[in-house]
Amino acid sequence: MKTIQDQGYTSTPEEAEFELRAHIGSIWSGGRLFIGMYTFLLASLVFAYFYLRSANNGLLWRPDHITAPTHYGWAVFLATVATGIMAVTGQRRLRGGALIDWQVAGWTALTTSVIALILQIWELSSLPFYPGSSGYASTFIGFSVFNIMTLVITSFWLETALARSHRLGRERGRNALLSTDADAQSWRANVSAMTYFVGFAALSGAFLFAMFYQL
Amino acid sequence: MSTVHERPHDIALAASGTKPPLTQRPGLLSQHLGTALVGAIIGYAIGHWLGNTISSHYPYIANSGQNAIADTLGLMLGVVGWLLGIGALNYPLAKLVGRQPSSEVEIQGWSKYFRYSTNHKTVGLQYVVGVLLFMFTGGLLAMAIRTELLSPTTHVFSPDTYIKIVSEHGTVMMMMATSIVVGPLGNYLVPLMIGSRRMAFPRIEAFSFWIFVAGYMVIFSAMPFGGFPTGWTGYAPLQTQAGPGMVSYLFGFAVIGLGMMAAGFNIAVTIINYRAPGMTWSRVPIFVWSILATAALLTLATPTLFAAGVFGLLDRTVQTAFYVTEHGGSSYLWENLFWFFGHPEVYIMALPGFGIAGEILPVFTRKPLFAYKVGAAGMIGVSLLSFFVWQHHLFQSGINPDMRPLFMLTTELISIPTGFIYLVGMGTMYKAKIRFDLPMLFVMALYFNFLIGGVTGVFLSDVPVNVTVHGGFFVLSHFHYTIMGGLLFAFMAGLYYWLPKMTGRMMNRRIGLWHFWTMFIFFNLTFFPMFIIGLLGQPRRVFTYAKNLQGLNDFSSISAFVLGFSFLIFFFNLVWSLYINPVKAPDNPWDSLGLEWQTATPVPAHNFDRIPVVLADPYHYSEVNAPAVADLGPSSPPDEPSLSGAPV
Repeated sequence: MKTIQDQGYTSTPEEAEFELRAHIGSIWSGGRLFIGMYTFLLASLVFAYFYLRSANNGLLWRPDHITAPTHYGWAVFLATVATGIMAVTGQRRLRGGALIDWQVAGWTALTTSVIALILQIWELSSLPFYPGSSGYASTFIGFSVFNIMTLVITSFWLETALARSHRLGRERGRNALLSTDADAQSWRANVSAMTYFVGFAALSGAFLFAMFYQL
Repeated sequence: MSTVHERPHDIALAASGTKPPLTQRPGLLSQHLGTALVGAIIGYAIGHWLGNTISSHYPYIANSGQNAIADTLGLMLGVVGWLLGIGALNYPLAKLVGRQPSSEVEIQGWSKYFRYSTNHKTVGLQYVVGVLLFMFTGGLLAMAIRTELLSPTTHVFSPDTYIKIVSEHGTVMMMMATSIVVGPLGNYLVPLMIGSRRMAFPRIEAFSFWIFVAGYMVIFSAMPFGGFPTGWTGYAPLQTQAGPGMVSYLFGFAVIGLGMMAAGFNIAVTIINYRAPGMTWSRVPIFVWSILATAALLTLATPTLFAAGVFGLLDRTVQTAFYVTEHGGSSYLWENLFWFFGHPEVYIMALPGFGIAGEILPVFTRKPLFAYKVGAAGMIGVSLLSFFVWQHHLFQSGINPDMRPLFMLTTELISIPTGFIYLVGMGTMYKAKIRFDLPMLFVMALYFNFLIGGVTGVFLSDVPVNVTVHGGFFVLSHFHYTIMGGLLFAFMAGLYYWLPKMTGRMMNRRIGLWHFWTMFIFFNLTFFPMFIIGLLGQPRRVFTYAKNLQGLNDFSSISAFVLGFSFLIFFFNLVWSLYINPVKAPDNPWDSLGLEWQTATPVPAHNFDRIPVVLADPYHYSEVNAPAVADLGPSSPPDEPSLSGAPV
């Protein structure tokens, strides 16, 4: 049984180069498009927040200015921002050729991301309000769900990029990841797209933190 | 044309030395539709049990007689089981544990259509069957509706059952219609038209199809749960008051939304990155432009639908109050979020239809496409403006009256780029010697129907008219003219035009003509009287009506039955042409200049032996000294970009 990649398929060197460029370009533009898509998802939450806040139906937007536990909020916020900073720093070091630095930064970012994820889930068990008690309470639950989703995506992407770097490093030697080899280029493009998303997650997390804990 | 008895593309490939994983080998133990169904059932059972275990003691559940948490968890794990069973999660799970994911095995023969295939042509044909199944079931529900409306006094269904049938019909049809062109034709044809050998993300493409099927089953699962009474729009507060079937609606929308985002994302990235050398933006086929505009809408508008569905599920499961006005939420929030997706969705359905028409017209008029760039610009303009019109759906329900003129204006503005696209078609047909083949007949019917649907849409965008006819059969007729009269006729045109390339068989022309004329005549006889019925005051979604409207309703119902029969003619034609009396299709039966017709039929596994170098747009019909469209040979011609981007 042949794979789809094998069925009478041959490429000239120029075609292989063209397809590699298209592949790298796909990761680049796909990463940005994914951020655009995610922006619209989070914008729906932001719209719901401000819509219900301005409507203030039955004066039940936020009775007594009730707020979700701020210590959890700060912890999740700081962990998310730390994840973003580590990912961006690691990416810069990787561009400078320091693969080990990227791996250390990546594992640190993964750890902070998982911590943020656990805290975000844990926070739900200690909310001082019932989910349907107010508009704020409802949108906060929505925010928690979306933030959990964001952190799961971030952690998955970080973990798979790290796992791939270790596998490729094991199979071909560490320096292969910095070479012009097709797999290495593909991996670096993936890391770049992932870094943009993690950075976006940190920025959007900061914005949503301000909305739900500071406003 | 000769009759053929063998299908070359079905000839199995010789086995290679290495064996694929057990899950990917042919046979019952591999991953296919059957294992997906088993996975879905097991996942549903586990999820439902889990939901009951963790939540059945909550007072609001114990006393309600329904457990939305168990229903939602059941559906959620059911979909996960479905994806595990079909093999969609093999790749991400392998990546998670740091293994080199194995390439998907492309099994040959008919069973590949029941598997997780990463070949865009297989996925395209899977979508053809999928959307036809959607359409068939939605159509059966339409027949039930028209049967009930035969008489205002003698009833087949109870009012409760009737509204649930209407709701299921609307939801199934709208979800089907969002994918009807992008799914089958977009996935199959876009790589061929842009000179690519593949999609950018083939696994995401396959995921989009199989999650689409899961969404279909989830939406139909509402029926055993008692259905949902909200119509396809799911308005709150009825949504929050409805029974457990509403969970299927909300979850189904979210699931199909995921599929739509995945499909749009993959196609947009493919068009941006995988265009063959020389395929500049001004040479991109108009159908590809329409799919790109649609993909942008799918990618950016659908997340709002997904979010709206998640909020609705949270309201039903963990008792938030997003759409509950009494608890600080707002039922208008749903309307805003739903229509922020819902109106772009109208263009998700309209634009690909015009793309098909723009592709077919030059072939059958033997003229260049009139004002190609205006058409492409019109499509981009429509997709941009479509984000600014959603509030016209709220003219009657809570919008600040001062905002009405603004949204009336934006709605009327969108008719300008739509008019551009329409004029591209008219200009191409002007003074042409038209070949009245089946695809062309369907395209002409599209323009006829869409004119009626479009003009009544301009009326409806005006607040005074909207206030008068809102919620009645006039609106119903308007959107059936645009969606069914526009998109569905375009889809049929596309199928008659491209099925010879997709299947290697010509569709029977005589049966096709029967199909066309019955569909065209009885579509108009079904829906045109509904404008009058609506103006005379009959409301939508109500199972009875004034006695004096029975004549018109009966006329419409009987026409609808014949319209339904016309689809049986189409299905008969499919079976006849593909299996009973197959006639082999030549490589280019319509003498088209499109790149997709320049490759062999059936299309080789990787589309083109060599990646083509595009030299011109594919619309230079009947031009003296017209340039060649592409160089398909191994070497690049002089003065044209080579594969590496440098001039040769």
